[in-house]
Amino acid sequence: MKAVMISFDQAHYENVLAVLDRMNARGFTMFPTTYGRGTKTGEAHYGSHAWPGTCSTIITIVDDNLVDGLLTRLKDVDEESPMLGLRVFTWNIEQTI
Amino acid sequence: MSLYEGAVKRPIMTSLCFAAIVILGLFSLLKLPIDLMPDIETNTIMVLTYYNGASAEDIENNVTRPLENTLNSVEHLKHVTSNSRENVSVLTLEFEFGYDIDDLTNSVRDKLDMVSNSLPTNANTPILFKFSTDMIPIMLLKATAVESQGALYKILDEQVANPLARIDGVGTVSISGAPEREINVYMDAKLMEAYGISPAQVSAAIAAENQNVTGGTMDAGTQTFTVRIEGEFDDPSEMKNVIVGTHNGVNIYLKDVARIVDDVQERSQRTFTNGQQGAMIIVQKQSGANSVQIANEVEKMLPELQKNLPSDVQLGIIVNTSDNIKMTINTLFETVMYALLFVVLVVFVFLGRWRAMFIICITIPMSLIASFIYLYATGSSLNMISMSCLSIAIGSVVDDAIVVLENVTTHIERGADPKQASIHGTNEVAISVIASTLTMIAVFFPLTMVSGMAGVLFKELGWMMCIIMTVSTTSALSFTPMLCALMLKLKKKQSGFFHKLYSPIQARLDKLDEWYENRIKWAVRHRWTVIVGCVVFFLISIATMQIVGIKSEFMPAQDSGRVGANIELPIGTRVEIAQEMAQRLTQIWTERYGDLLTNCNFTVGQAGDNNTFASLSDNGSHLIKFNMQFVPSDKRDIGLVRICDEMRADCKAIPEITKYNVMLGGGNSSMGGQNNAKFEIYGYDMDATYSVATELATRLRESEGISQVIVSRSDFQPEIVVDFDHDKLGLQGIGLSSAASAVRNAITGSLLSYYREDGEEYDIKVRYEQTDRQSIEAVGNMLIPNNQGRQIRVKDVARVYESSIPPTIERKDRQRIVSVTAIMKEGYALSDGVELGQRLYSTIDMPQGVTIQVSGSYEDQQDSNRDLGTLFILVVILVYIVMAAQFESFSYPFIIMLSLIFAFSGIIFALCFTGLSLNIMSILGGILLVGIVVKNGIVLIDYTQLKREQGYGLIRSAVVAARSRLRPILMTTLTTILGMVPMAVSQGVGAEMWRPLGVSVIGGLTVSTILTLIYVPSMFCIFGGAGVKRKRKAFRKQLELDAYWKANKDKEQLKNKK
Repeated sequence: MKAVMISFDQAHYENVLAVLDRMNARGFTMFPTTYGRGTKTGEAHYGSHAWPGTCSTIITIVDDNLVDGLLTRLKDVDEESPMLGLRVFTWNIEQTI
Repeated sequence: MSLYEGAVKRPIMTSLCFAAIVILGLFSLLKLPIDLMPDIETNTIMVLTYYNGASAEDIENNVTRPLENTLNSVEHLKHVTSNSRENVSVLTLEFEFGYDIDDLTNSVRDKLDMVSNSLPTNANTPILFKFSTDMIPIMLLKATAVESQGALYKILDEQVANPLARIDGVGTVSISGAPEREINVYMDAKLMEAYGISPAQVSAAIAAENQNVTGGTMDAGTQTFTVRIEGEFDDPSEMKNVIVGTHNGVNIYLKDVARIVDDVQERSQRTFTNGQQGAMIIVQKQSGANSVQIANEVEKMLPELQKNLPSDVQLGIIVNTSDNIKMTINTLFETVMYALLFVVLVVFVFLGRWRAMFIICITIPMSLIASFIYLYATGSSLNMISMSCLSIAIGSVVDDAIVVLENVTTHIERGADPKQASIHGTNEVAISVIASTLTMIAVFFPLTMVSGMAGVLFKELGWMMCIIMTVSTTSALSFTPMLCALMLKLKKKQSGFFHKLYSPIQARLDKLDEWYENRIKWAVRHRWTVIVGCVVFFLISIATMQIVGIKSEFMPAQDSGRVGANIELPIGTRVEIAQEMAQRLTQIWTERYGDLLTNCNFTVGQAGDNNTFASLSDNGSHLIKFNMQFVPSDKRDIGLVRICDEMRADCKAIPEITKYNVMLGGGNSSMGGQNNAKFEIYGYDMDATYSVATELATRLRESEGISQVIVSRSDFQPEIVVDFDHDKLGLQGIGLSSAASAVRNAITGSLLSYYREDGEEYDIKVRYEQTDRQSIEAVGNMLIPNNQGRQIRVKDVARVYESSIPPTIERKDRQRIVSVTAIMKEGYALSDGVELGQRLYSTIDMPQGVTIQVSGSYEDQQDSNRDLGTLFILVVILVYIVMAAQFESFSYPFIIMLSLIFAFSGIIFALCFTGLSLNIMSILGGILLVGIVVKNGIVLIDYTQLKREQGYGLIRSAVVAARSRLRPILMTTLTTILGMVPMAVSQGVGAEMWRPLGVSVIGGLTVSTILTLIYVPSMFCIFGGAGVKRKRKAFRKQLELDAYWKANKDKEQLKNKK
């Protein structure tokens, strides 16, 4: 089991949800409004006057075999419109109930 | 879910909501009546008090003064003016505009009840008379006749007036110029004397013979009959054999002493149209009815009515007020359509996409149509104000949609899905869109609160603009994102034709961006030069105003093609002479203007004794009243003002004419008529005020630029006085009242009986032959019967002499007054006349207690300027508040507000250049500019601030923001300017009214936009630079304090402990 954290520009919401559905990753938790900025070029998303954009973050816990497919498809979404921004991070899940 | 998210996700609901608004709007539009102006409530009440036998001065002291003193305390009273003349006092109460006249009438009535006891016992109860716009005739019809002239009144009354009065909404239909039938019995004074018969005997005999008497009831067999004795004449000739008395035992018949003429009233008005005698039919509407609709109905009915008339009676239209209304509204409709076209073009040129253009432009009809619902709901009409409002709004309604669309496009171009882009793109700009709408509402909402005449005009405009702006913003935040989500795509393929069409435009726009960026780069580095340059520019405009001089007036004169003229010959001139003069003038004018003058109608003669209206206005055989109609203004080169000037010159050239008043627009109303400078001369001594008035009038007449001067006081009227000697009357056994009525009956005639025919009653007037009542001697020779049946001559008991009646005593605000009214020639404005008058009267040697004050249009102008001035301050404060709240800063709104002064420079230059004068319409333009001009500033400052927050340096942020906002600013400005161009250049009917508005907005906006684009970035850098310096200073101080604190911490703390 791995945790996949997807942080993305709000505009990607429907695309990301489509990928999750496609990969049968049913369960997820979403933070509809999150703020942040990219490490290198990523524009700030602060929901402020100067930086009006906002992000959303989805954390989904999936089986290990799904992770690669998920990442590939999400990378496609990101490359489709690089200006918006979408980043994915994964880590191991130790225990669940 | 926010508004825009809901709208994007539920496109059907959103579009149907707006479809419902459009349908309701169109439904309202179909029901909307057409009118020239918004419904203006009247503000005048007249109080008429008859006090028979009292002289003008008695009336003034005993009736007018007590009434004035009491009624002066009625609330919202602006002026109380009065005319005290023989037998009658006419008080006119003028109220502030915008109050319910019915409430005011009640207050006046209450006050009258209070005062009525203190009026002289013989004075009648005061009559209240409410003036309303319904009393202005909406149509004047002519009926010319040859053979049927004598019976014209009856023919018209039955065949024309009655059917017309049945039309829904028609109030009264009256006929003038066609005398009514009257049976005249002319007695021969000598024969009467010879037979010893008095006039009273004759009329009593006729009345006694001419009656039907009921004879009670009678039983015959099984039935009961009523008995009626019929004695009424079946034919006027039957009267001949009425026995009027006996002489030496022989019966004297009426035919022995009098002749009976079945004719028309002796004193009556005659009407001529284009030189042909006939009658005039005056159609008035019911209150609240729609004049255009009624006029259409009347026009439709005329051919039907014509069929039933004798072949020599021809009906026609002299004046149809609805023609002007229809043409004016049509011109405005064209203006709105052109504005729409221009705006669509501008949007296309700047956006370069068909779909985007469609999305933006669909908001225009939607918001405009929504305002019709308001008009219908408030019972208003499609009028000049509401239509110009649409024209003003067209340019502004697209602004919000443009901002939203632009941001959504940016999101789409960054790769967002159109649906998501629409939601987030709208979300980002929603606040600034609402803020910019609020600034517009801050400008227009106060308009709904203006009082006075300006308030009446602009209330509707204020509400409509507020509604249009609100609808357009709502649509920009819901309908526009919905359409963007449906219609915009990232990937597109444009046709070859489109590329060919648009690439040159694109290249030019790019070049413009670059050119502007370079200018800005220079400007922000030479900011003080820019600021000084701007200040110099402003000073130059002020200097221009001083040198060229902007003329001011109250309201532009409206060219409705209608001219009225009241011409006075010396008092006492006979009606035949007046008619000759009128025909001479008609000939001069018809020859000069030819086909341009469609109808020239005049009325001469004295109205009959039973005419109530006659007591309200001047009435006499020496007066001529003209009503002329010219072809619409777009079909002639010569303006109505020039025509009026020429007519006045004609009147001036004829020495017989003592007074003339040529009225542009047909009436003396302040709306749409010519501006006049009225000088009111106050003072108790009537001779002193009159001499000042005549001197001022003479000097004004001699001055250049004055077209006509009218002195309000009328001349002394000639009269013949019969002064009975009571002692002699007593000796002869005659009472004064019987003596007086004998003289009256002989001259005016006695009316004791009526001749009945076909259900109509005609007067039987018994009086002396005309030859027996044409001189002072004739009056002296008249006979009065005494109580012994002897006939006594008037000259034996009375002194008969010629005298004159003192003129009417006019008062205003409880002081005696004479006014001198001057109307300016073409090319001279009201301000010229006022200045000239003031200069002239300052040189006149003023007698003790005489003061002069300027009023008339000048007073209206001052009032409305004061109202609009207050409004302007209110607007500026409100707009500042909205901006300060938006920017969370005091300095940025200040920068933007300062750009307003360039708008004024623009207005000044525009007015100087076009030679138009400053009037209520151009001032309105100035107020509108506050909202439009600050919008540009807001866009610029907002974006510069945003760039600063994004971490750009001061100068860089100013330059980047300026370049990126150039197109949106140019676009919104051009939509507004081009939306106004049709208004400013229109030549159609009524265009002279809104031309000043269009010109001032275009001038102000052009200059202010160009200067704002350079001035705002520079000013921003000055303020920003100062801010940076201030921050640095504060930081340095903090550092010093920190260092000091570090070194002296113990010492400072010890001190504190102490």
